[in-house]
Amino acid sequence: MSNYFNTLPLREKLNQLGVCDFMDSNEFLDGVSALKGKKLVIVGCGAQGLNQGLNLRDSGLDVSYTLRKEAIEGKRDSWKNATENNFKVGTYEELIPTADVVINLTPDKQHTAVVNAIMPLMKDGATLLYSHGFNIVEEGMQIRKDLTVIMVAPKCPGSEVRAEYVRGFGVPTLIAVHPENDPQAKGLAQAKAYCVGTGGHRAGVLKSSFVAEVKSDLMGEQTILCGLLQTGSILSFDKMVEKGIDAGYASKLVQYGVEVITEALKQGGITAMMDRLSNVAKIKAFEISEELKDIMRPLFQKHQDDIMSGEFSRTMMEDWANGDKNLLKWRAETGETAFEKTPAGDVKIGEQEYFDNYLLMVAFVRAGVELAFETMVQAGIKPESAYYESLHETPLIANTIARKKLFEMNRVISDTAEYGCYLFDQACKPLLADFMKKVDTDLVGKNFNEGKDGAVDNRKLIDVNEAIRSHEVEQIGATLRKAMTAMKAIKTA
Amino acid sequence: MDLNWTIHTGEHYVLFGESGSGKTSLGKIIAGLQSAAGTVKINFNTETDLPAEVLFVESWYQFKNLEGVANFYYQQRYTSQQAKDTLTVHAELVSFGKEKGLHFDKVEPILEAFNFTTFASAQLIELSSGEHKKLQLVKALWLQPQLLIIDQPYTGLDAASRKNLNILLDKVTEAGVQLILICNDDELPESINRFAEIKDGQVSVSKSKELAAFSIEKNLKDIPDFLKESPAYSSKDIVKMVDVNISYGDKHVLKSINWEIKAGEKWLLQGHNGSGKSTLLSLVNGDHPQSYANELYLFGNRRGSGESIWDIKEHIGLISPEFHWYFDASATVWQSIASGFYDTVGLFQQLPYSKSLQVDELVEYFNLSASKKELLTSLPLGKQRLVLLARTIIKNPELLILDEPCQGLDQQQTKQFNQMVDELCSNGMTLIYVGHFESALPACLEKRILLENGEVKVVENLNTQTRHSEVPSNFCTVPSK
Repeated sequence: MSNYFNTLPLREKLNQLGVCDFMDSNEFLDGVSALKGKKLVIVGCGAQGLNQGLNLRDSGLDVSYTLRKEAIEGKRDSWKNATENNFKVGTYEELIPTADVVINLTPDKQHTAVVNAIMPLMKDGATLLYSHGFNIVEEGMQIRKDLTVIMVAPKCPGSEVRAEYVRGFGVPTLIAVHPENDPQAKGLAQAKAYCVGTGGHRAGVLKSSFVAEVKSDLMGEQTILCGLLQTGSILSFDKMVEKGIDAGYASKLVQYGVEVITEALKQGGITAMMDRLSNVAKIKAFEISEELKDIMRPLFQKHQDDIMSGEFSRTMMEDWANGDKNLLKWRAETGETAFEKTPAGDVKIGEQEYFDNYLLMVAFVRAGVELAFETMVQAGIKPESAYYESLHETPLIANTIARKKLFEMNRVISDTAEYGCYLFDQACKPLLADFMKKVDTDLVGKNFNEGKDGAVDNRKLIDVNEAIRSHEVEQIGATLRKAMTAMKAIKTA
Repeated sequence: MDLNWTIHTGEHYVLFGESGSGKTSLGKIIAGLQSAAGTVKINFNTETDLPAEVLFVESWYQFKNLEGVANFYYQQRYTSQQAKDTLTVHAELVSFGKEKGLHFDKVEPILEAFNFTTFASAQLIELSSGEHKKLQLVKALWLQPQLLIIDQPYTGLDAASRKNLNILLDKVTEAGVQLILICNDDELPESINRFAEIKDGQVSVSKSKELAAFSIEKNLKDIPDFLKESPAYSSKDIVKMVDVNISYGDKHVLKSINWEIKAGEKWLLQGHNGSGKSTLLSLVNGDHPQSYANELYLFGNRRGSGESIWDIKEHIGLISPEFHWYFDASATVWQSIASGFYDTVGLFQQLPYSKSLQVDELVEYFNLSASKKELLTSLPLGKQRLVLLARTIIKNPELLILDEPCQGLDQQQTKQFNQMVDELCSNGMTLIYVGHFESALPACLEKRILLENGEVKVVENLNTQTRHSEVPSNFCTVPSK
């Protein structure tokens, strides 16, 4: 198998990267009819598998689960999840031949093996549904020509997919049809019906392509989402300890700060996040984030280049073949960092204090979101796609850090995200060494406003506000957020 | 406003007053959980072993999952999920005992008294509201603080548990605990010897409470016209269950249930805590994943024949303690009521003009105009309940499911609400009503189904003259200290 993207001529590369259409709600008026009466068989019953299946069945569709023989015989958790909720469960041989749509919700790393096992069993003209395009785009999986291949990717964890559905809403969702596999031209209608079945159509649906999804997803997760949050957290903690701030306080500020800060980001973009700071603090955060952007820009570009060329996935798949040698080593190193080993202190930190005493993280987040967004757009990815893979997902990862710190965060994100996160982190820390030497506790650990009279120059403030508000990620974000305003706020600790 | 209140040793209080009078706030101020101008002074007894502590048992208990998140939904406990993410009752008690330095063997008799021992391995998310209340009471009775304040001790408890609670409360007072119960109930522990009424920000204390002094004032307002129309039934068969069984692993929650409801019937559903009432109702409301494996017909259609849960909910107006518990915290009063048109938890769409007028009318009817733009969660619990009751009836549904609808309301509000239920039902609406308090039921009920340990015990016609009372099935043996 060879990298699908690299087999395409340039015009087709650009064509597929540029698929991006934020769909109007009246495109979903047909409801679930394209899937009504069809047999939907889900492969895998973890968090995404179970919760999507519950939603689809509650929307009047026919859902069952297929699991590997060992999982059924061993009565593993996936088997219990499915049977205890009264779903029909069977082996690949029993259920795949009857399926009109096979939904592959197994982990990325298993895709090649799973698809090779199920494809020969699928009936003529059936549909194969993915929630991530890595297998098709990077691994170059070739799907039988009679089969339709589509993607439906809810942009939230499985538990949220269910919680939002039962309250009558949904989560933002990305859909795509693989142009090499749409023989009956039914792919889009089925993908839309699937969105209605999971409730995603109520919260905003973005029509993308397998290529655009993969190239933007990889970029987002390894730079701003996981990589920079990891680097920023470790550097911030170490700096505070070096400067004599209580380690328990430092640990708590870092663990929960990123969640509180990005909650503002979630609700009102970078503008809202920066507006939580006083005027003097905002100007300072703006200045150092500009500096951070200049320092880190080449690294962001290198990551995007390696993703586009396929170099990133090539080296990562080498490590898969090598028994995850690098990944496991890096994971262990994360577990050994001082931040990871220092429990959050039993101190009360107020919501505003997380902004005032952690200005450095506000600057990191602004720099990382804008850089990731800019770099993706420069590489031919459309702003809507770039928004979802940068700003939109940042609070979700921050939430995971607040709950689990870094070691566990890395274990729960996808294999690709974890691998990319370590690559980024290792390259980024030395790059920031000089910058960090200048950082003192006014930026991290203590209230930046302390001892300042708060006065600012009008014109300067106007310029800074203008630069923040007029960035393209803010323009597009305002539109997309409107479609999902009803989403519940993530609860903070 | 400049409230003064002295509680002497040996005085055990009931603090009562209208919904919204400030009972809960006052209790929290005494417990130091809420700040107020002025001083609260508590002199603990230094000669006793009881912890020098004020414990306030909230009427509304919030818990979090293992990751510190409290984003639950009311249907969650019906879904079987292997990734357990809330503590078990046992683990919760162990951690409470450890924090307070208590012996675990002391809690066991209390668990038995509340018929709660079988719940040890249950996760917090799996408990019903009555069971959550019991867990809080168990902790309080185990701790035996010098001052114990319980907000709404009886809500959600069945008759037997209420009786047992009173016996246990009398026991702890003998051991030296001083009580303040915040409630408007009349079945009280014998040790209660003072009554404090809070009204207009003042407390007046007396040694007895005039029972049922409330006048049954008819709500002078007429119900809005749009609620006077008879609901349009698509089928005269509302519910039909044939040998319905629900179980989680080895735990059999409903056993061979057969039940039929015809259009226009008014049912009273009763049973002890944990008898399976909520689970039964979740089947009717399209909320239970195991519906699909049972022979169940709703509104004339076999469940699992291609309908969506939204097709089912369209016919139903539902309220339950769990529904209230997990309701959208970001919705305003007006939005909460309006969301009833779409059966959603929170409002996600714009209302057509005619419907928004109906919301306004109902807001007016329930005297909620002043707070219609406020967040639902910012109101006192009784008021929140009224809002959700308005939400339940806004679309004039075919079937009204009222699962302990009047929790948190005072007597006056309960009477008025039940009068309104009677009026709605006279127009042909179908009703399922769950209520533990015999004295607070609407008059229109005509049939009764009683569950016991997941089985149908009794199905009968109710004679309005001789309404059956809920028979306490198991009296407790009082634990000895």
